[in-house]
Amino acid sequence: MRFLFFNYFFIFQILSAEWIQPPDRSPKGYLVPSPDYTPNFPRDHGSHPKYGIEWWYWVGHLKSVNEKRNFGFQSTVFRIAGSPEGKIYNSIRSFGNQNLFLVHSALSDLGNKKYIHHERVYREGWQAKASLDNLDLSVGGIEAKLLTEKNQQQVITRYQNGDRLELTFSPLKPLIVFGDRGLSRKGESPPAVSWYWSYTRLQATGKLFQNGKEVSVKGIAWMDHEISSSQLGDGLEGWDWTCMQLKDGTEVKAYRLRTKDGGSDPWSAVYWIDTNGKTVEVYADQFKWESEDQWKSPKTGLIYPNTVRITAFHPDYGKRVYRIRPLLDSQEFTGTRSDNAYWEGACEVLNNEGVPIGKAYLELAGYGGGLGARLN
Amino acid sequence: MLSFRLAILLLFRTTFRHWRKNLGSYFLLVGIVAVGVGAFNGIRQASRSASANFGLFNQAVSGQSDFLIESSTQRLNSNILQDLAQISKEPDWHLLPVIEGSVTSLDSNGSPDQQLRLVGLDLLSLANLPSLMESKFDFGKEEPNWYEWLGSENFVWIGSEAGRKLGIEEGDEISFFASGRVREMVVRKFIDASSVSFPDDLVIGDLPTVQNLLSRKGELNRIEVIVDQIEMRENLNFLQGIKDRISKNLPKNLTLKATQNRAADRASMTAAFRLNLTILSLIAILVGAYLILQALDAAVVRRRAEVATLISLGVNRGVLFITFLFESAVIGVLGSILGIGVGWFFAFLSAQMLADTVNALYFATTIEAISLTLQDCLFGLCLGFLFTLLAGWLPARDAMQTPPAQILSRGDWSPGFSWLRKSRVGIVLILSGLIFLVFPPFPLAGGGKMAIGGFLASGCWILGAALLSGHVLVRLAGLIKPYCAGPITRLVFSRLQDGSSRHRLSVAGLVVAVGMVTGMFQMVDSFRITIEEWFDVRFQADLYVSERGVTGAGTINGIDPLVMDKLVHENMVSYADIVYISYAKPPEGITILSGVDMKAWSTQIRQLWLKKPGSLKPVEGCEPALISETFARRFDLIDGGFIELDTMTGKKKISPIGIFSDYGNEFGTAAVDIPIWKEWTQSERPINVSLYLGKGSNVNEIRDQLRLSYPGLDVRNASELRDVALGIFEQTFKATSALNGIGLMVAFAGLLLGLFAIFDESSRTWFTLDYLGFSRKQFLLTAGLEGAAIGMGAWISGSLVGVALGWLLINVINVQSFGWTLQWHLPWTDFVIFGLLLFAIGFLSGVLSAALWIRKQK
Repeated sequence: MRFLFFNYFFIFQILSAEWIQPPDRSPKGYLVPSPDYTPNFPRDHGSHPKYGIEWWYWVGHLKSVNEKRNFGFQSTVFRIAGSPEGKIYNSIRSFGNQNLFLVHSALSDLGNKKYIHHERVYREGWQAKASLDNLDLSVGGIEAKLLTEKNQQQVITRYQNGDRLELTFSPLKPLIVFGDRGLSRKGESPPAVSWYWSYTRLQATGKLFQNGKEVSVKGIAWMDHEISSSQLGDGLEGWDWTCMQLKDGTEVKAYRLRTKDGGSDPWSAVYWIDTNGKTVEVYADQFKWESEDQWKSPKTGLIYPNTVRITAFHPDYGKRVYRIRPLLDSQEFTGTRSDNAYWEGACEVLNNEGVPIGKAYLELAGYGGGLGARLN
Repeated sequence: MLSFRLAILLLFRTTFRHWRKNLGSYFLLVGIVAVGVGAFNGIRQASRSASANFGLFNQAVSGQSDFLIESSTQRLNSNILQDLAQISKEPDWHLLPVIEGSVTSLDSNGSPDQQLRLVGLDLLSLANLPSLMESKFDFGKEEPNWYEWLGSENFVWIGSEAGRKLGIEEGDEISFFASGRVREMVVRKFIDASSVSFPDDLVIGDLPTVQNLLSRKGELNRIEVIVDQIEMRENLNFLQGIKDRISKNLPKNLTLKATQNRAADRASMTAAFRLNLTILSLIAILVGAYLILQALDAAVVRRRAEVATLISLGVNRGVLFITFLFESAVIGVLGSILGIGVGWFFAFLSAQMLADTVNALYFATTIEAISLTLQDCLFGLCLGFLFTLLAGWLPARDAMQTPPAQILSRGDWSPGFSWLRKSRVGIVLILSGLIFLVFPPFPLAGGGKMAIGGFLASGCWILGAALLSGHVLVRLAGLIKPYCAGPITRLVFSRLQDGSSRHRLSVAGLVVAVGMVTGMFQMVDSFRITIEEWFDVRFQADLYVSERGVTGAGTINGIDPLVMDKLVHENMVSYADIVYISYAKPPEGITILSGVDMKAWSTQIRQLWLKKPGSLKPVEGCEPALISETFARRFDLIDGGFIELDTMTGKKKISPIGIFSDYGNEFGTAAVDIPIWKEWTQSERPINVSLYLGKGSNVNEIRDQLRLSYPGLDVRNASELRDVALGIFEQTFKATSALNGIGLMVAFAGLLLGLFAIFDESSRTWFTLDYLGFSRKQFLLTAGLEGAAIGMGAWISGSLVGVALGWLLINVINVQSFGWTLQWHLPWTDFVIFGLLLFAIGFLSGVLSAALWIRKQK
């Protein structure tokens, strides 16, 4: 979903893997993430208001402890900076005007085939605040904070009808810093870089309060925190993105930036994270993203290719095939603007022989046309 | 069944044939019912239109709210939002903080021009609202630059129609008065109001922007709650569930109520006002009913020979009864249908007048489009039908009892209603009225009281006087007749002394209207004189200062405390009597908590004291307060005691030490010392100040000087203040006067109709006189004098009952409904002028009726 976020303001482009020195500031005047930066945690889990955009993103698969119920969830908070010259306040004002926050929350009740979701936008203030010093967010229905013990995170997500998901995440792998010299490049434009930090495997435990009942849940989750000041680019129609958590203890992150002619932008990439947290990546010329089946939304009429085959060439292990199948078709996030609808949901990962090898979260954005129009 | 069919047949074969012959009269009758029903329905619709939109102006933008979070003072501090943050996390609803105030735009000369409602909302959060998505409301395609206008100091949005009226373009500045200052706002964009109902006087801005423009930083008026699943609004269980969940975490000093309840609360604030209007609007129907009775009776008389023939031919008397009832029902139905349209027209004419009154006295409101509901139509139809049926009952019964042989031999002279000749019923009604006087007032929702006994007594007295007025007319005619020398006057008073049913009914219908009008004369006059005397005593200061351009009870911003501080420290000011007000919540309804200099009010500031300060001993543990008479009567504190008021900082007990007269509002005022008021309300914002200048000061010179120094303030001397207050007072009685006018109009129409019937019935007399040489001029003069004498008879009886009604309105209804003690004053001059008017109209009606009769005979 994070890519969709760009449809409001920004987009990035991926062109090549060669080093491009980013400037200190973006054309709009925001600070640009600098190379060779060593994140200073827990401070860098907090907000970075001098940078144009930022998001905190959690997705994962959960299973009830006592019942055989399966869930997928997405909880995302976006921050968008106002004027680069705007004053940054440490104290909480009721109605700030220097940062906007967006909340996207979704819960897939896979057994009952139900998908609930909502979107909200807030200004920094009484309904939305993010600490500058730590992971301490409270934006609409999502609250997240860092616990003192073992870098654990606690995330509370509220849904309609009083439902609530309270999860504690314990990192099973160290935090991954994506990109060359600590910068994840998003395109040829020099400032199009981000600090992209992820916990690719988190142990999730907690409770789901649903229909007035409490269900204990546990599972595996993924968390991204990305900070950049990039600009919107031309020629793109949308994005397909996935994070896979495989049974062998490794993870795969893959995305392709779809061009208008149906191809993939050169900066599309696949990352493999091994059991120790070491990453390798390939770009567009080393993988294929193909659709195996599609689903038509009865609500928006959009068609999403939500059954995917990714064929990639691992630098060490050669050809790898990942077949991603949705665990529930109707995981379309319609939000408040119909042309911004996207599909993001819980999936399973099969190998080439059709054997399940892991779980994934898949995001398919820009199929409504509105995104493409905004991009260009 | 056969009788029914026969009645229908007779209706078509006989009744409607008579209608065709007297088309004008029946048109008038239908018109009278229409005006009566119209007056009643019109007031209903206009009141609803004027009060329904009671100030949630933001709903033009944000859509319908489901609940309101408010404090008893109708004012909140933005800090409260931190306490509500937990509640706001739930996606099932949206919390929308609102601040609203009134500002006044300036014209090119810097004078107040147009009053505007300035409403502040979190404009960004509107993007979450489902209704906004539906209405496709557009602030302009400026999303990427949101930080430029979000929280800006003075960007606002107005409807394009308002922009046209103000003569401005997008990007232009508007200068305006607010909180005692002159400010500037910049119109960022015009809102395309085609998709939403956007009032012309509405200006919206981001919440901090509006707080800044109104100099009310950190203030809110309320927080609105809008459910996310708007399609579930009709599900009461769903709404109750939402309410329960919000209430669970709501801070104690806040209340959550359904938006409709606020409407009900507001409606209860104006309950007494609307009740008075409704009762007044019934006069027209009541007078109309008299006229129907009179006209149908005349019809029975005219057709008595025909009725006698029908009875002789074997037509059942019951069938004749039904036929006459049908006739009145047809008049009732036709009149009521027409009345629904007339009501809409009256509502259209009077809605702004009522809205102005509600604005001036109660709370901020705008007119909603006049709506005609099915309920209105049914109500109007039932009312008109019922009254005409009742009015038709007696003539129908009279027709049924017609003795055929006697009538066929005697001719067309009616024996009349025997009950009109008996004074017993009238006397019983008058005495019943006296008994009703001891009835206690009936408590209304919201803490108001309805003087049920007073209203019943007035009804009895009016009806009683109407019944007795015929006797008065006959007696007076008998007294005057011996002094009449000429044939014309002798003839006139002879006819009046005979006292036919028609004469008695004509005068009775007129008496109802005259009684009510003269009663209202007294109340209005007594009110005005009392207020003027109150002014003379209460307002002894040299200058009075309030926020400029803002009038009315619901549009108060107050004065910026910094401006006030500067003002009261001006050299020429020797003492400043600063007044603070806020709403407070008693156990029932709402009241006003005022902050005053208690020491000065108890010793120096002159008041009309009902009980002087110190005459009541405060209850221990309660804050001593000076309370208004209205407050004392409303909460039974005339002899002391205490009451608990819910304030911004919780429940506080006050106990009166003195009671003063106050005609400013009907909710009652309790005044505590200023530091206590500030502590309880957490506010520093005064509402006005009375300035006492040093000895020898030139008041008007200083007034002009202050006006220049403080262009955002209204600085008035005592006589100017009196003019403003009396202007509001006049506004209050505009609707009442209009209804009185309608009542009179119906009565005069009835007089015309009645006189025409009288002359028609007296055809034989006129023919005989004509044969004896009575000229047309003499006939017209006789008719004119007869009409004038009926007018005068009605004036005498009506004035007598009017005086009683005036006493009742002032000493019972006003005291019980509003808690105001007024000095009873009889406006003799008005009475005399009204008498002359009645004489003239009676005379003209007589002449006109006679002329019509002559024309008909030709």
